[in-house]
Amino acid sequence: MVSQKIGAWVGKLGWVWVDGQLAQITRRPGTQVVFLTLRDPSADLSLTVTAHRDVLDTGAPNLTEGARVILHAKPEFFPARGTLSLRADEIRQVGLGELLARLERLKKLLAAEGLFDPRRKRRPPFLPRRIGLVTGRASAAERDVLTNARRRWPAVEFRVVNVAVQGPTAVPQILDALAVLDQDPDTDVIILARGGGSVEDLLPFSDEALCRAVFACRTPIITAIGHETDTPLVDLVADMRASTPTDAAKRAVPDLAEERQRIAQARGRIGRAVAGLLDREQHRLDALRSRPVLARPEVLLDQRAAEVGALRDRAARCLRHRLEGGAAELGHTVARLRALSPGATLQRGYAIVQRPDGAVVRRPDQVSPGDPVRLRLAGGELTATVAAS
Amino acid sequence: MTDVELSYEQARAELATVVEKLEAGGTTLEESLALWERGEKLADTCQRWLDGARARLDAARQERGAEPG
Repeated sequence: MVSQKIGAWVGKLGWVWVDGQLAQITRRPGTQVVFLTLRDPSADLSLTVTAHRDVLDTGAPNLTEGARVILHAKPEFFPARGTLSLRADEIRQVGLGELLARLERLKKLLAAEGLFDPRRKRRPPFLPRRIGLVTGRASAAERDVLTNARRRWPAVEFRVVNVAVQGPTAVPQILDALAVLDQDPDTDVIILARGGGSVEDLLPFSDEALCRAVFACRTPIITAIGHETDTPLVDLVADMRASTPTDAAKRAVPDLAEERQRIAQARGRIGRAVAGLLDREQHRLDALRSRPVLARPEVLLDQRAAEVGALRDRAARCLRHRLEGGAAELGHTVARLRALSPGATLQRGYAIVQRPDGAVVRRPDQVSPGDPVRLRLAGGELTATVAAS
Repeated sequence: MTDVELSYEQARAELATVVEKLEAGGTTLEESLALWERGEKLADTCQRWLDGARARLDAARQERGAEPG
């Protein structure tokens, strides 16, 4: 009863175009019907599809597993086993050109949404505590990342999550791996690494869901997908794009030896810089200190002493002149005095006759006989009285 | 500002002006002496700063085993 109801209800559903990836193709011998498993490329969803052999052979000849198809189908419910499947009356393989065209459209869409915005990109830590590595099991990519990282920084810690790196199961597994690593508080950078591969192989790495997941991750992500020339969309969303797995290791982890050397160099340079500064300043100070006014202050005093000395000499010289002048003058006056003074005439035998009142007698009538007079001789004086005039 | 608080640059700058004044002359004897004494003190301050810095540098480098000076 219930099955009939479901069958009826499902029967009402109309035809739909479905896009997906072929996970399995089973052709049972002897029957016209082919069973296909169709997967959603970015989610863990799959459906069985039944189609008539001719539909397959005409619509999408030599179909291989993993191919991307579009099919026109109608949901069908099989009461017998209670299964739902799609009956397809038309299948077309999505050509590579079409796929790439879709990729371009998706790229523009994501760009418009700002998923590639460099401002949103986070710088991976200089020295990560633990590196999350999402890559194929025992793949060359895994080996390259691990060996190179460890050679550069022996103490590096990894948490590897191996995933399918191509085909329909790739994206869901990578999404799970990213989720696990992103939540891990100790993992502070995640590397998504894959070796080279065909365009189809790398398609999962341009998947919209994967790009959105990478964009949403809190932990910085470094992608190293395919060869140097390959740039799947996830590369544009990631926080850092490495050209190869080895390059990813180089960017994720500093080289211990190199860092040690840089530190030593830096230390040397700052030491020399300060030492240089000290030397220069010491020289400048020495220069100032050696200036005569400081080094030999007596220079100042000598100057002044010299000035004083010079002044003193001048003063002395003036004095001498003056004295000499004075002496000379004195000499003259004395000479003149002497010349005028009667002394010389007395020497020659003359005598000066003076009256008691001191007047010099020049004529006889100035005195009368019996007057006392003074006679001044060169050698002394005499007193006399006038006998006759 | 007592000399202790003078920075190296301030002390050296003032020392330079003291030397200029003395070399320019025209100051009284008393002023010249005072200037000279000031100059000597400033020079000592500068030298102390430089010696201190040198000591700190060598000490720090010894501490880490790097070559001194």
